[in-house]
Amino acid sequence: MSQVEKKAGLLRRTSSSKKPLKEKVVLMYDEIFAKEDPAKNNPRFWDELFLMKVNLEYLESKLESVDGEEVQRIQDNINSLFHHCVQALAEEHQIKVVNALQTLCALFRGVHQKNKSASGFDIINMLMGFDKAEQRMKVCVEERKECREPQEPLSQTAAYVKMCSQVTDNISQNTILEYVMINSIFEAILQILSDVASRGQHGYDAVVLLALLVNYRKYESVNPYIVKLSIVDDEPTLDGMGMVVHQALTEYNRQYKDKEEENQGGFFSTLTSMVGSMFIADADEKLSVQTNEAILLALYEAVHLNRNFITVLAQSHPEIDIPITPTTPTPMTPTAPLGTTPPSLDMMNNPELPLDPNLQTSNLLITFLKYASIVMQDTKDEHRLNSARLCLIILTCIAEDQYADAFLHDDNMNFRVNLHRMPMRHRKKTVDKNIPSRPLVCAVLDLMVEFIVTHMMKDFPMDLYLRCVQIIHKLLCYQKKCRIRLHYTWRELWSALINLLKFLLSNETTLLAKHNIFHLALLVVNLFNMFITYGDTFLPTSNSYDELYYEIVRMHQVFDNLYCMVLRVSTNTGQWKEAASKVTHALINVRAIVNHFNPKIESYAAVNHISQLSEEQVLEVVRSNYDTLTLKLQDGLDQFERYSEQPKEAAFFKELVRSISLNVRKNVSLNTMSQDVLLKEFSTIS
Amino acid sequence: MADAEVSLSPALRPLQLSPSHSSPPPPPASSSPTTFSCPSSPSSASSSSSSSSSSSCSESSSDCPNHHHHHHHHHHHQPRPQLQLPPPSPGEQPSSPSASPRSSSPSGSIGSTGSLGSSSCASEGFGSSGVSSSGGGGEPRGQSPPLDVISEDAMEMDLTVDQVIDPEVALKACQEVLLQVQLQSRDGPEQQLQQQQQRQQQQQQVQQQQQQQQQVQQQQQQQHLQQQPQQQPQQQQQLTEQTQSEQTQSEQTQRCSPQWIVSPDTSSIKEEDEEEEEGPEQTPPQAARLPSSSSRGSSSSKQSWLLRLFESKLFDVSMAISYLYKSKEPGVQAYIGNRLFSFSDGDVDVYLPQLLNMYVHMDTEVGDAIRPYLIHRCRCSITFSLLTAWLLGAYSSDMHISTQRHSRGTRLRRLILSDELKPSDTHVSDSPAPSPSDRRRHRRHNSSSVEDASVPGEAEVVASPSRRTHQRSKSDATTMSSVSGAGLRRSGSNPKIHEEPERLRPQREFVKSLLCIGKRLATLPTKEQKTQRLISELSLLNHKLPSRVWLPTAERQHHVCRIPHTQAVVLNSKDKAPYIIYVEVLECESFETSPIPLRIPETRIRSARSAENLDCGGGGSTNGMTSEHRAGSFSTVPNYDNDDEAWATDDIGQLQVEAEAQTSSSDNISQFSVDSITSLESKEPVFIAAGDIRRRLSENLAHTPTAFRRDPEDPSAVALKEPWEEKVRRIREASPYGHMTSWRLLSVIVKCGDDLRQELLAYQVLRQLQLIWQQERVPLWIKPYKILVMSSDSGMIEPVLNAVSLHQVRKQSQMSLLDYFLQEHGSFTTEEFLTAQRKFVQSCAGYSLICYLLQVKDRHNGNILLDSEGHIIHIDFGFILSSSPRNLGFETSAFKLTSEFVDVMGGLDGDMFIYYKMLMLQGLIAARKHMEKVLQIVEIMQQGSHLPCFHGSSTIRGLKERFHMSLTEEQLQLLVEQLVDGSMRSITTKLYDSFQYVTNGIM
Repeated sequence: MSQVEKKAGLLRRTSSSKKPLKEKVVLMYDEIFAKEDPAKNNPRFWDELFLMKVNLEYLESKLESVDGEEVQRIQDNINSLFHHCVQALAEEHQIKVVNALQTLCALFRGVHQKNKSASGFDIINMLMGFDKAEQRMKVCVEERKECREPQEPLSQTAAYVKMCSQVTDNISQNTILEYVMINSIFEAILQILSDVASRGQHGYDAVVLLALLVNYRKYESVNPYIVKLSIVDDEPTLDGMGMVVHQALTEYNRQYKDKEEENQGGFFSTLTSMVGSMFIADADEKLSVQTNEAILLALYEAVHLNRNFITVLAQSHPEIDIPITPTTPTPMTPTAPLGTTPPSLDMMNNPELPLDPNLQTSNLLITFLKYASIVMQDTKDEHRLNSARLCLIILTCIAEDQYADAFLHDDNMNFRVNLHRMPMRHRKKTVDKNIPSRPLVCAVLDLMVEFIVTHMMKDFPMDLYLRCVQIIHKLLCYQKKCRIRLHYTWRELWSALINLLKFLLSNETTLLAKHNIFHLALLVVNLFNMFITYGDTFLPTSNSYDELYYEIVRMHQVFDNLYCMVLRVSTNTGQWKEAASKVTHALINVRAIVNHFNPKIESYAAVNHISQLSEEQVLEVVRSNYDTLTLKLQDGLDQFERYSEQPKEAAFFKELVRSISLNVRKNVSLNTMSQDVLLKEFSTIS
Repeated sequence: MADAEVSLSPALRPLQLSPSHSSPPPPPASSSPTTFSCPSSPSSASSSSSSSSSSSCSESSSDCPNHHHHHHHHHHHQPRPQLQLPPPSPGEQPSSPSASPRSSSPSGSIGSTGSLGSSSCASEGFGSSGVSSSGGGGEPRGQSPPLDVISEDAMEMDLTVDQVIDPEVALKACQEVLLQVQLQSRDGPEQQLQQQQQRQQQQQQVQQQQQQQQQVQQQQQQQHLQQQPQQQPQQQQQLTEQTQSEQTQSEQTQRCSPQWIVSPDTSSIKEEDEEEEEGPEQTPPQAARLPSSSSRGSSSSKQSWLLRLFESKLFDVSMAISYLYKSKEPGVQAYIGNRLFSFSDGDVDVYLPQLLNMYVHMDTEVGDAIRPYLIHRCRCSITFSLLTAWLLGAYSSDMHISTQRHSRGTRLRRLILSDELKPSDTHVSDSPAPSPSDRRRHRRHNSSSVEDASVPGEAEVVASPSRRTHQRSKSDATTMSSVSGAGLRRSGSNPKIHEEPERLRPQREFVKSLLCIGKRLATLPTKEQKTQRLISELSLLNHKLPSRVWLPTAERQHHVCRIPHTQAVVLNSKDKAPYIIYVEVLECESFETSPIPLRIPETRIRSARSAENLDCGGGGSTNGMTSEHRAGSFSTVPNYDNDDEAWATDDIGQLQVEAEAQTSSSDNISQFSVDSITSLESKEPVFIAAGDIRRRLSENLAHTPTAFRRDPEDPSAVALKEPWEEKVRRIREASPYGHMTSWRLLSVIVKCGDDLRQELLAYQVLRQLQLIWQQERVPLWIKPYKILVMSSDSGMIEPVLNAVSLHQVRKQSQMSLLDYFLQEHGSFTTEEFLTAQRKFVQSCAGYSLICYLLQVKDRHNGNILLDSEGHIIHIDFGFILSSSPRNLGFETSAFKLTSEFVDVMGGLDGDMFIYYKMLMLQGLIAARKHMEKVLQIVEIMQQGSHLPCFHGSSTIRGLKERFHMSLTEEQLQLLVEQLVDGSMRSITTKLYDSFQYVTNGIM
């Protein structure tokens, strides 16, 4: 599909470029595509070529039009062109370098486009010839490295990074990448990220490219980028990376908000009265903004691979509401107020933050949570499902990280996080402004509760639910371990979980066809077990423990039914026998509570002649009858399986990376590579 | 005994040019005043002994340089004979009688003093400086050298006259001082250097001999001490009064010799210091010398009284400041200016505000007298430079804008900030070793007359401990360099020196950024936004740390390494935004020279912190499980950690492999839970009672120290309530620097838009009163908190740890103060409660007196803190003395004493309430004894000040009256009763509280 589009686009462009008068450069291209060595007649041919303004469209279309056999014939010339491009990169002459770069890009693109289906080796052969391939590529990459040495023409590197990003599709079979792998451009990417100016311009590309490079054949071989990314500990670089991700996500959130506000006008208000969830979905479709899995993937890799990146998540800075349009690289004024400072402060361009009272302080994690709340609203579309899944995976990694947990639970870091909530018929859209300022973990829990409540649908996202419940579990384990008594309204979580069980029960048959609902049920019941047996270590008040019992007793029907169901399944022989029997074991304490308190409550009602006990009365009964209740200590409740990408997630990531690289290729526009831009960059550098 | 102590101190701490009372021994300090001021007192014997000894010492030292007096003095002293016994360098004495007298004679004399016994050295009353000065005819820097010479007269006068205090004598003494100074200024500086060295070295030898004698003397003196511990304060007052009268007389006499005003000493010093601007002038004005010498002739026997005082151990910085302020006589001023050098830095720093205020606002003579000292200290210390610059700026701000620009204070400030006052000596950067050679060089440079003397000296330089030479060379060098421009230039051109152009900058920028944050925060509307912004601003600041910056409020040298930004919190203030930050520092030898600690990235935290720390005692806790089960459940934790470590390994390839290995096991469900379930089936199940869990929960909650609820309107309440130890532990755990042994946590309040000069004044007064009460052993408790004035509208405050305001207590706990006490400390009969109650009473009494004496107003509950031990602490001295908030005449009572306070004390009839009143009485009596010290602090600061607390003309008089000097103790007791009674019944206090509640929401 995208290919067709591409072609169409290219054709259109060719037609527009058909001008009566051919430029000199076009003539020269023609010469290249002739059989003869263009330098034979004109020894200065290559020199001249790179002095000429590049006509990318023509070059690409020319490459496009060459068919298989011709390729063989002109291969020498193309090799030669490539060779000279590489050589020209070393020139001192700026224009030549720029032109060579652009030509190279076009060459890659064109050739690659051409050989879409063919294996990578053909491309290599075509471009450089097998024999010299490695050496040339090395030259090519090393050229970049040398360039970087003295005063670091960053945008050259950036351009090169862009060039690479153009050839990244079909990532695992792309043999050119193999060369990129060998001749690492990792340092170049880091360089871009650590420098404020270059980050503004190329940061996004660099981060995306890095994400893709990290994913290059990661399951088949040892990927050097994984290793390298995992050990980066340079703060400016990591901060820079965080900033890029932050900006991209903020931009997304902003766009979404804008659209939402647009829609809110007439159409939304009338809508809310007659909403069915279906219709909402439609409305959401209109709201949906293209999700950005590439940047999410980058965030994932950073969080997953680099333990140091976690701190960046909490790095607070004012919310940036400006679109990502490359900020004009303001000349860096050397304002390091402390004389002895390493030049590491570049979180912002200026050390003094913009002063705007309305500016909320934010950090990457908050932005990410908001983003996740938007993405999770609707998981029907596959992109969004993938995004939501990736979000949950990232949250899983975060919840497992001790440092991240520490700042999630830091009582001193309070924020208002305005999560986006799906409008639903049984609840009004919450007024944003009234959210209290709380530790960040509350926002995470809110998000999880929100997800649990809003996704009980026929097309049950089992996988997402599992992740969701596991995240909660991991957070609880941390709280128990560190004895953190979070002031959170746990009741909301409990009732959401009970509702989830209820949903599983009522849709047992349909769900069982596709999913192992017992696993999810087990996780949910074990969450309750956590609260029941370890509540003393992390519940905020003694009342909250009573409320837990109240909630269980109040919803005892659900647990009764669940028990009946799992008992039935586990006594039958079948594939779910074992899974169901685990749930029956897990239910012991809940059932003990129900069986212990129900009679007590009934007798209390009977004695006092009250038909309907108030909550306070039930709580009273609960409080006075603890001592006669014995619970069974279940082992391993505070243990969890650590996240590992392989093999469970491998397939997901393979697919994700494929779709991302397709997208990236689609979006990398040559415009950004135009000569003016490049030259401008050069001029700012040298 | 005093002598013994003093003479010991140079040996022990040779570096300290400090008067004896700065160094620990309090007994000599207390004993000495009596000896001087009250001749008839029991200790007169000791005083005589000390004075006599001093005389002998100074005499011997002085006779050579000046070879005038000592002819007629009665050397019928017991030590005398000893003097003649062991003259260490006897041969030289005759050889250079006039040309190089100092070089040889001091050594001889000191040797002799040594043999004389401690008495001689001690007589000077201030460690090594005294000694050095004794020979220091040639010491222009005025390390009190001249005094000894004169003191000789003084002391012997004393003896002869049998300690009759004669104003004339004092005057004469001053004149002598001047004379000495003039004489010295003619001498080459190098000479003096050598002499000092020699003297000190000899001193060392001597000391050993002395010690035996000292012991004997100590015993004697201790007896005296015990006999009369309390009389001295009053006596001292008498003394000061007397000296005042003397001064008036001396003024009269001065008219006869007006030439003094052009004291060559001061002028020469001025040149030295300004040589950077004006170029050096090496020759002191000759003209000035003549008149003084003529004046010297007159009645030398009479003038020594004042000098005797100056010489005495009793003479401390406080008195120096007082005389500097009161004396109109340039000679005295110049002398004191010089004498400042001999006090320890710390002692003088206490009065830095006074010094600087005098410098800014008083006449030229005073300024000139102080200036050399200031310059000297600025050269030595960045800290001092900045403090001085800040204070100068603040105190100059009261001047009219036109005069301000060209005022002395502003100019000095500019000079300091221009960073031209670099450490002028090579010696600081050099290792101690080269200093001897340096000296040799100087010697060569000097006149040949010294040559012979230098030989023995040099030998001893090598022998002397390197530390000493190093330190001394520092001070020597400053003297040297400032006297002789050549010396300075030489050292300046020395390639070894690393000129650091940015000496002051890091700290200035640091402070500036902190203050700017405060200014920006003030524009934000809500506390929450302020706090959030504060946190993010600080996190940026963190990027620039560690750096060569420090917190000026701290006791010890350190570098700031990190600001745990999430801990910072905005304090309650209506329209300003003061905030408290916690600062992690690494202590170091010297913040100026020690290397700056390396930056550890924030991201290293996790490697620095072990997982065990995170456990927070979960392992050992009393969870209802049996211990084996605990162990069982935790046995898997290592697994967790191992995995974590795998992440730490640099090779992620390995991680991949590991991941594969892990996941190759078929089961996707949590391995742990599977294990646990299977194991449970096989094992005996464990049962727990639900009641236990519930009980543990409520117990745990009850046992956690009562924390405050988070309140967005009052974010500081929680932060301040958290016990300091707890906070330190928590922050240390989370800090990448936490593992270092030199790690410390400090905190500071940054205030922007508030004038802290009054706070500083209040701090000084409180500190003084605290010292007085300590000295008088009155168990009143107050907590002066350090103030750092950075300009007339900004500064820093040292926070009171573990304390929250009464307002916060009330608002958070919603109970009466007594109930809160019961909640925090236990029931009435518990020891904790009783201790807390006692502390409450002691602090109440202390602050009641403070509030009365200083007329502290605006006493609403937000301005009164309660610390975790039960003390109350008053903060915010924005309205003191003559100023009070402009509202309806509230707060007419003497101090704030609400019924709540009385309740905590156990009611009106309780013992503790009686104790409270008794404490106040004792405190008032004690304070009265030392009133002058307190008055002086305030009085000097009034000079040129436009602070509201000095509004009107009767500020000082009013303050003085509140000490009620005229009342008998019975009358004072009555007064206290009245004050307490009045305050308690005061309706206005209650009114003011409700007024605050209505207007500012302060409960």
